[in-house]
Amino acid sequence: MVAPGSLRVVRCGGSALRGARAVFSADSKYLLYVSGDFVKVYSVNTEETLRLMGGHADLVTGIQLNPQNHMQLYSCSLDGTIKLWDFMDGIPIKTFTVGTKLLALYTLASAEDSVFVVIPKKGERDTFQLVSVELTKGVGQDLEGKELSVVLDDVGASMKHIAFGREGAYVVSVKDVNLQVYFFKRKLLNRFSLSTVKTKGGDNRFSCVVCHPKEDCIATGHADGKIRLWRNFHHKKEYTYSTLHWHHDIVMDLAFSMEGTRLLSGGVESVLVQWHNESSCQKDFLPRLGSPIEYISMSSDGILCCTLHTDNRISIINSNLRFSRSIQGLIKSRDVKTGLVVDPRTKALVLNGEPGHLQFYSLQSDQQLFSLDIVQRQYIHQAGLKQSDLVKVAFSARGTWLATVEESEEVTDPELQLKLWLYNEEIQSFELNTRINTPHDNHITDMCFRDMDELGDDSLILVTTGRDCVFKVWVMVEDTDPEAQQSVSWSCDFVGSYHNYQATNCCFSEDGSLLAVSFEETVTVWDSLTWDLKCTFCHPPGNIRNICFGRLTCSKYLIGATDYGFLCCWNLLTCALEWSAHLNVVVLQPDPLSEHIAAVSWLSKESSLFVFKPNEPRPVYIQRNLCKEKIRLAAFVPRDEPENTEKYLWLRKSQLFFLTDTQELMTLSTKSLEERLTPSSKQLAVEESLPVTPFSLLLGKHRHQQAQEDTDLGKLIVHNKQEQASPAVKELLHTPAHVLPSASFLCTIFINSLLISKENKSAEEVADEVEMESEKAEDDSDEEDVTAMEQEDTGHMELLGEMTCKLSKSQEKELRKIRKMDYSWLSAL
Amino acid sequence: MGEFEVHRVRFFGLVPAGVRCLACQPRGPRLALARTDGAVEVYNFAANYFQEKVIPGHELRSVESLCWAVGDRLFGAGLSGDITEYDLAGLSAARGVDGGGGPIWSMVANGTGTQLAIGCEDGSVKIFQVVPGGIQFERNLDRRKGRVLCLSWHPSGTHIVAGSIDFFRVIEVTSGQTVQRIMVNHHVEKAKCECVVWAIALLSSGTVVSADSFGRVQFWDWEQGTLAESHTVSTSAALSLAVSEKEDSIIVGTSTGATYQLQLLPVNLGGQEKRWVRTKPFQFHSHDVRAVAHSPAALISGGLDAQLVIRPLMEKMQKKGYDAALRKFTFPHRRLVSCARKARLLLFQFSQYLELWRLGSTEETGKDGEVLSLCRMPEHLVQLKSKGPEHIYCSCVSPCGTWIGYSTASRFHLYRVRCDGDGVSLRKV
Repeated sequence: MVAPGSLRVVRCGGSALRGARAVFSADSKYLLYVSGDFVKVYSVNTEETLRLMGGHADLVTGIQLNPQNHMQLYSCSLDGTIKLWDFMDGIPIKTFTVGTKLLALYTLASAEDSVFVVIPKKGERDTFQLVSVELTKGVGQDLEGKELSVVLDDVGASMKHIAFGREGAYVVSVKDVNLQVYFFKRKLLNRFSLSTVKTKGGDNRFSCVVCHPKEDCIATGHADGKIRLWRNFHHKKEYTYSTLHWHHDIVMDLAFSMEGTRLLSGGVESVLVQWHNESSCQKDFLPRLGSPIEYISMSSDGILCCTLHTDNRISIINSNLRFSRSIQGLIKSRDVKTGLVVDPRTKALVLNGEPGHLQFYSLQSDQQLFSLDIVQRQYIHQAGLKQSDLVKVAFSARGTWLATVEESEEVTDPELQLKLWLYNEEIQSFELNTRINTPHDNHITDMCFRDMDELGDDSLILVTTGRDCVFKVWVMVEDTDPEAQQSVSWSCDFVGSYHNYQATNCCFSEDGSLLAVSFEETVTVWDSLTWDLKCTFCHPPGNIRNICFGRLTCSKYLIGATDYGFLCCWNLLTCALEWSAHLNVVVLQPDPLSEHIAAVSWLSKESSLFVFKPNEPRPVYIQRNLCKEKIRLAAFVPRDEPENTEKYLWLRKSQLFFLTDTQELMTLSTKSLEERLTPSSKQLAVEESLPVTPFSLLLGKHRHQQAQEDTDLGKLIVHNKQEQASPAVKELLHTPAHVLPSASFLCTIFINSLLISKENKSAEEVADEVEMESEKAEDDSDEEDVTAMEQEDTGHMELLGEMTCKLSKSQEKELRKIRKMDYSWLSAL
Repeated sequence: MGEFEVHRVRFFGLVPAGVRCLACQPRGPRLALARTDGAVEVYNFAANYFQEKVIPGHELRSVESLCWAVGDRLFGAGLSGDITEYDLAGLSAARGVDGGGGPIWSMVANGTGTQLAIGCEDGSVKIFQVVPGGIQFERNLDRRKGRVLCLSWHPSGTHIVAGSIDFFRVIEVTSGQTVQRIMVNHHVEKAKCECVVWAIALLSSGTVVSADSFGRVQFWDWEQGTLAESHTVSTSAALSLAVSEKEDSIIVGTSTGATYQLQLLPVNLGGQEKRWVRTKPFQFHSHDVRAVAHSPAALISGGLDAQLVIRPLMEKMQKKGYDAALRKFTFPHRRLVSCARKARLLLFQFSQYLELWRLGSTEETGKDGEVLSLCRMPEHLVQLKSKGPEHIYCSCVSPCGTWIGYSTASRFHLYRVRCDGDGVSLRKV
């Protein structure tokens, strides 16, 4: 028996971005958003994910910038902790343990040492309360945040249901048809409710709330698409509201601009609406955003806003309501019907994307490569409308041909279409080659190409199986019509059936000589040259769920999984059952580069993974309790370079990916947690223990001497000297040699820096200037401009003498960067 | 319970006259209403909005504007060019004085009710002094081209603002000079159609509120001549405007039948800075809302669909009750139908004529709620036209069906009806 595995399951994409509103950093250069258990930092300019901040043990439900320090970020999670991060470096600073589930997080500039979170009320189900948590100022990383004081009772669980008013004077919460406002100073709680009666399609239930940043005005979104703007709500009776109405369905989120002159709203229409001056007549639209808008957030300077969509896409939008860019990870589609397919050309995962589209998802960069419109019809967002969608996808071995099947949602008469696409090198995309209407009379259950690399395109065969009890073989034919634009097209070559059973699966053997087609309870094997039925296999009871051929050394085996929980392996030479095992297999996936086959079972609410070779009934690897969710699909993706794992041979050439019910992509990693996490969390520690290089020795000696002098002479004068000297010296030592000015010039600066300056008050202001100038000079140094040199001359001559050690942050960072550079080559000299 | 035959009378084709203007009695419980046929009605708020008085219309007299003057006197002015005082005790138009400027489009009384200003077709604004027993012409103010469609006094009585087509102007009363003339359309590039200022109000703070045919409600500083705020309330014209006594709420009527409330609300809670915010829309009317009024506790609107709607302001109500209910006056409050029970005749009263109908009859009997088929259709017997420009005030038919009487404001008529088989003859008594 093989010992239970110790591979780690790692989420690698597709995590819902829907936990909380995204947050822009104070300078709008970075966008921070929640992705499952992680917080991601994204550069707005370069469209790259900069940092992944992991550490929460469960879904992150809220992120907010620290109002006291805009380089820090609070995050809260369902695991009951609030973490404070330095998001520029990706370092967790503090962790506050609250204990209960935290569902939303709010910070206030006026409340210095506390944040507000939504927690479930003790002893009652589905009731929540807003509490303020005192963040104790203790030493150390892990602290307790147990001092809770209830602010509001009976609030909604979503972060959209609570908003803080202008300067934190009041807090608003909405739930169902009730709105409550609590004024902190006056300790006054006002409740307003709308009528619950749904008249004329009206539905007054609240969906979201935001507060005007400058005025006392509350904007609420409603389930029927109305937006209400509440004023005068400090009066119990004389409150008043006006109504804006454009959305036809629920308003998902609202956001005010920084001055409050503009209001943005979004909903299922995928249209961002901008209302000016709270007037219903002036509004602008940004339509066709692709999918329903879930959250809207504004940057603090008002230049950018971003929308989070239900399919895990993020759009960044300029202030003039122009679409700027989007972040697309794994797009969440309504249902992944196509399965996980690997594009042989790009090694990208291919699956359903937007409705009617095929997405190509790059695993390395966690980005969508492109989206191929297969259905080519306008998608209309309306409940109950029958849409056409993509159900099956297959690639030929080298990725030149792509076959897709689409069908409408109608159960009785599915409008089937089989499309064959040829990859065009010039336009770097697939072009439609053949469209076949109604290839089968009923739903198509499976489809595969004959995978033969060496034989070339002539041997390409496509097999489709359908519920109309036949399987069809499609081949390429030369077009004889001289007017035809293409040289080849596809047509049906052979129709096979077996006792009028529904065909469910098909699969080619590795050399392409045999085709296995399963018909309900029976597996039939056909010769792919003559289309003769060779033999049949059966393992009653139960229909065949999956079949696949073994590969390489095991190519004489055929594996099948049945409904009644049996995994069978038949020997094709002897036509006999080799072995069978009792296992409820939901996913059966062979590795294209090795003999291994992965089977995922679903038993008593947990998924288990079994990896085996067909020639031996014992699994190579077992991992029980892979994850809590049901695993729907799996795929082996070939690695670019084989991994050196002696323990897990089956993971050497390919990597296994799973897609769960919630459309989260997971993989198995051989590396331990410490290795996998970027060493960012230990960056500081590394900094202290730099490798010993000649320079660091020199620097260390220098420092040491300084310290000694300090202790000897007291800290009055020498302190000054040290402060001034060190940046100049540091700069000398850390600037790369090829950008340094000549040594004769540096000499005077170096000596100057060792002198004691007379005045040090005004130095602080000029320090920045020096820094700017030297930086500029560095940039220009490639050209070695004379004027630039002169500039630098004067700058250094005048200012370096009075430089202080009060380094600006960016300067410090610069230094750190330089220090991190590897100088070990020097020691080798 | 006895058995009843219920007649469905679907042949009374009364077209009610639309509401033309409304006037709330300042510091009083009454509301005066003028209809497009010249009839004037007076309602009493204190008595559940009871229709106290009706002064029947007159063919030659249209009422464009009504106003209350000192001593609870009611004046009306119309396109005939006359200013008429109504005798509220005698329910008739009492005295008429020619305005002398052609058709009168608007008339307003000053804060104390001692002076009336009228705006005329020829662009003049004239001031009349209210004296016991009538009114007296006092002076002409600065006359400019363009009909004066609306007027408003400053509460202190020092200035009058007059709205016209494409512009409005502010006139100082003591000197009679135009001190400011503001083009409503000035900032609109290449405005193709003219912009009619349908309603205007001058607030005590010096703000001019105008409602124009572009659907805008605009707030102007008249001293600087600058636009302070502009609210586009509707895509169609804003026709009428009324300001509450405290000047913190405005009601606007538009030609789509919707009315909007604008409120002066503090920008920040407890702060001094205030701003006008469009708050609640109401859609009670099906046609143009030509007249609105703002009583202390309710918004009142009247439209061309002949409805008078009184919507109490919930925040002003102490408790839910009869006062807090929405009221719609759709039906006429007077008796317009009289019945001769023995002769099975119905007499319908219209503004200028009477109609006599014989009811249909049936021989069948049926159960509760069943519809019986008629063996004889209802029959239009006679149409009796009244002579003269005055409208009929009331009418009656005797139970035996042989006598018909009606009266106008000045005369009473009695007719004898004789039925000879199919023919009907009338004889004036």
